[in-house]
Amino acid sequence: MRAVILDGIVLGLGFGLLGVGLTLVYGLGGVLNLAYGEIAVFGAIVVSELMARDTPTVVAAVVGMLAAAALSVLLDLTLMRPVYRQSGEERTLLGLLLTLGVAFVIVGLLNWKYPTGALYIFIGGDPISIGGVAMSAGSVWASVIAIGVAVVLLLFFGLTTFGRGVRSVIQDETGARLVGISPSLVRTLIFALSGGLAGLVAVTRSMTAPLTVTAGFDLTTFALIVAVVGGLGSVAGAFLAGVLLGIVDNVSAHYIGEYITAIVLLGAAAITILVRPRGLLGR
Amino acid sequence: MAEPQRPAPRLAGAVSTAGRALLPIAVTAAVLVVLPHLWFADSPYTTGLAVEALVFGCYAIGFNLIFGSTNQLFLCVGALAGVGGYATAILSDRASLPLAAGVAIGTVTAAIVAGLLAWIAVARSLNVIFTGIVTLVFSLAFTNLIIGQRDLTGADTGYVLKRAATDLADDRLGGYYLFVVVLVGLLIVFRMLQLSHIGWAFRALRDDEVAAELAGVDVARYRIYAAVVGGAMIGLTGGVYAYSLGFISPATYGFAQVDVEVLIIVAFGGLGTLLGPVVGAAAFGFLDRALTDSGQLREAYYGAFVIAIFLFLRQGVIPTLTSLTRRLGRVWRKETEWRPSP
Repeated sequence: MRAVILDGIVLGLGFGLLGVGLTLVYGLGGVLNLAYGEIAVFGAIVVSELMARDTPTVVAAVVGMLAAAALSVLLDLTLMRPVYRQSGEERTLLGLLLTLGVAFVIVGLLNWKYPTGALYIFIGGDPISIGGVAMSAGSVWASVIAIGVAVVLLLFFGLTTFGRGVRSVIQDETGARLVGISPSLVRTLIFALSGGLAGLVAVTRSMTAPLTVTAGFDLTTFALIVAVVGGLGSVAGAFLAGVLLGIVDNVSAHYIGEYITAIVLLGAAAITILVRPRGLLGR
Repeated sequence: MAEPQRPAPRLAGAVSTAGRALLPIAVTAAVLVVLPHLWFADSPYTTGLAVEALVFGCYAIGFNLIFGSTNQLFLCVGALAGVGGYATAILSDRASLPLAAGVAIGTVTAAIVAGLLAWIAVARSLNVIFTGIVTLVFSLAFTNLIIGQRDLTGADTGYVLKRAATDLADDRLGGYYLFVVVLVGLLIVFRMLQLSHIGWAFRALRDDEVAAELAGVDVARYRIYAAVVGGAMIGLTGGVYAYSLGFISPATYGFAQVDVEVLIIVAFGGLGTLLGPVVGAAAFGFLDRALTDSGQLREAYYGAFVIAIFLFLRQGVIPTLTSLTRRLGRVWRKETEWRPSP
């Protein structure tokens, strides 16, 4: 039982990391970035191409994250501008459709250039024992990175001036502008952060299983579900939702059966949304 | 004090009202009937694409009723169609019911499911995005269910309908006309709803939900109505499609394959308009044909096209055209008014 829960937490931290980049962008401007998973895949391909050219793994991973962040910023500076000129549901819908188009473009180009592209980062070493349960080195590393990111993000939004500025824009765009915070600058930086996180997701996921060119769509939908269950715009909520869903997933896979698991997981997500439409930690 | 009564509309008046109401549908039907003979009847490949465009047009009409008319983002068009499709397949093959009964039961089931989803969304007062997420979750769960029930559905390998109309599958043109009939039927239903008091309520709640509620429109009830009728349209299309294809798999009704395209079609054509779904489906049919030879890059071109459309044509084709003709009409009328008398 302990091993099952621990595995679930590991899986869930990955889910949380996946949801957090999406939730930040939505919280900030009401845009659901449907190209999120494709940006992660783009980062993964950059990393795998660099690794194929004998770049050290760490350097390749950092460059991949930067590339994903750059792509995300490019998106913000070009296509997101007309989106932010709209407001309310118009903005959400236009943002959704445009990023959907972007997702097609990215996946189309990647499929064309790297039809068999995939990223798999092999983490060597013996299984590490945590609380008496042996875990593979890859999943331990992935979890450590996810926890690190969660802590850094929470500290950043809680303690730094810029982090508070971001939160002020999330709460009230006009108010933020009145006290001298530029929403558009904040948005660009958060898009960069979101892209970097997408790249990081690609890296940590590939530590436990290969990430293929076609993974983008699943990444996006799952990020969406995690973000909504956690409460759109909430960093802690995304991680909490991720861990809870991860535990549900593993427990049900272990005790009920493999194929029912996906349905149990989706059902848990749906029930959470219905019971608490704001999400676990949403405002 | 009573105003002089207008003379009751005579036959000519009634005909002209009905004509105005049904003219766009009649024109659409005429174009669809003639089109194959002018263009693609001799190419099975293009006819296949045309059938697909018609099917998506039918899905889009149902989705347009749910999303365009009552603002409920149902991201489960594929799943609802799948309910119709699998019900038709399983009932007619396994339970050896007549095909029509299978399609009918599938249609009713899809309508009930859609109504339930709308009821949940209304009861929990979910907004657009949350309705979208809940229905998306339903879609994914449905796909998993289909894959899980391997014995019944054939999972990913798919399901061959033994009793499918082979003449329809061989002669694509038959399938084409079958879906022309379905599409025109759905358009007529949509038009009748638009012109009835229900359409009036739809417009009120789409413009301003709170104001509509205050004016006495039972928003919750009309939302559920729209979902039930729209769900039935989608389920019917899914069932008939299964019958005409003769083979279905989870991908036939997948979220990525159906919902994404239907959303784009309806947004492109114009939300809530009668002919928007038809125009959208036709445009994407042409796009499919044009991109046939671009191979791997197809998706990228498709994405670029989607971006371009929504950057420059935010309102959708039909509303843009309508406002354009109206503006032109106004300009023309002004010019004639101001013309100095000779």
